[in-house]
Amino acid sequence: MRSLLDFIVRHSYVFLFILLETLSLVLLFGFNDRQKEVFLTSANSVSGTLFEWRSGVDQFFLIRKENAQLVEENTRLRNMLYELTDSQLVSTARALSSDGAVAARVIDNSVRKDDNYITINKGSRDGIAPGMGVYSSDGVVGVVMVAGKRYSVVMPILNGNTSISCKKKGSDSFGFLEWTGGNPYVAQLRDMPYHSEVELGDTIVTTGFSSVFPEGIPVGTVDRVEHSKNGYTLKIQVNLACDISNLGWVYVHTLTRDGEIDALYEEIMK
Amino acid sequence: MDNGSFIRRLFLLIGLVLLQVLFLNRICLFGYVTPLFYIWMIVRFDSSMKRSGILLWAFFMGLLIDIFSGTPGLNAASATFLAMLQPGIVKLFVSLDRHDVLIPCSASMGGRQFAGYLLLMTVLHHTVYFILRSIPLGDWTVLVLKIVFSTLLTFIFMLVTEYVTGASGSKR
Repeated sequence: MRSLLDFIVRHSYVFLFILLETLSLVLLFGFNDRQKEVFLTSANSVSGTLFEWRSGVDQFFLIRKENAQLVEENTRLRNMLYELTDSQLVSTARALSSDGAVAARVIDNSVRKDDNYITINKGSRDGIAPGMGVYSSDGVVGVVMVAGKRYSVVMPILNGNTSISCKKKGSDSFGFLEWTGGNPYVAQLRDMPYHSEVELGDTIVTTGFSSVFPEGIPVGTVDRVEHSKNGYTLKIQVNLACDISNLGWVYVHTLTRDGEIDALYEEIMK
Repeated sequence: MDNGSFIRRLFLLIGLVLLQVLFLNRICLFGYVTPLFYIWMIVRFDSSMKRSGILLWAFFMGLLIDIFSGTPGLNAASATFLAMLQPGIVKLFVSLDRHDVLIPCSASMGGRQFAGYLLLMTVLHHTVYFILRSIPLGDWTVLVLKIVFSTLLTFIFMLVTEYVTGASGSKR
């Protein structure tokens, strides 16, 4: 008996090892998606401040480039404004008043994993909620997944679980944009109808159907067109307009619409 | 373990965690090569430490990195695994004199043995890390590439660190 106790005491580190390793693996595999989200949010309240500080240092070096981008965007918007007629102006203004945008800074970002996440420095306090679209001055970035109080986690296009409805600019046939891993500058647009006339270099924009994004935010340009296996749809490779590995400021599309569309869909799904 | 070395080790832990989550995590050569330099802490555990102490240090370090990287359990599991093997691996490369406290470094082990020790430690840790991260296992070639090139990068980082700290004569 005594020698057994001795044995246990002498090898207590083995039991400790088993305990710690089990704990880690439970954390790693025992979490379902909902619990992972909670981990991400609570972790973000800890790490948000740290990442914000680092992003401040980055910002210092990027400020010239970002300035140039802002001036460019400003010029583009100004030109658009001149082209609008009065009646268009009224309807655009009305549309804008129901849809808004919140500017946020990207404080953490990864493009190297298979499922990537972006952290931004605005949260529920600033009116951000899960499901809102995120875009930069170049184009679509992703969709808000979890909104913490001061920080939010965004699921970018570069995440296996994202799917964004897109169409060719100036046409109405649409498909869904997905990412299959690997190259962070390219994504696939699938389920485009077979008959839609898509040519290389065409611009792909958001549809605005789901009210996640406003209509017409650029997504990318067509790089390659293939017929999918079933023969009824096209598979299109898209060069993304926005370099997600290199983000500074982004806009979050906050919709002030009362969620009527979503409510209708839920009604149908029942 | 006396108080002084505890506090020194705590500072080393904080420094390595910050270095990893603020800078090294953002390195991604060719899309999937990332150095995991934080295992430097586990590499340097001396032979006088209790094995349970080594395990606890490594576990909490991994957990801290997980909290900042949004990867629950991943680094904790692989760091604890490496910490379990560390004392045995040291013995593979040098014969321990019973009364001698050995801090693994090129001066105490000899340059070639220390390099071999570093390489084996890194390969073991990175293999476990990338396998756990890639579950469910899909593409084997990508997994092997990730392990091989990340190992090389971490190994080079550690050699440079050893060279710099060894040359300045500071022994942590």
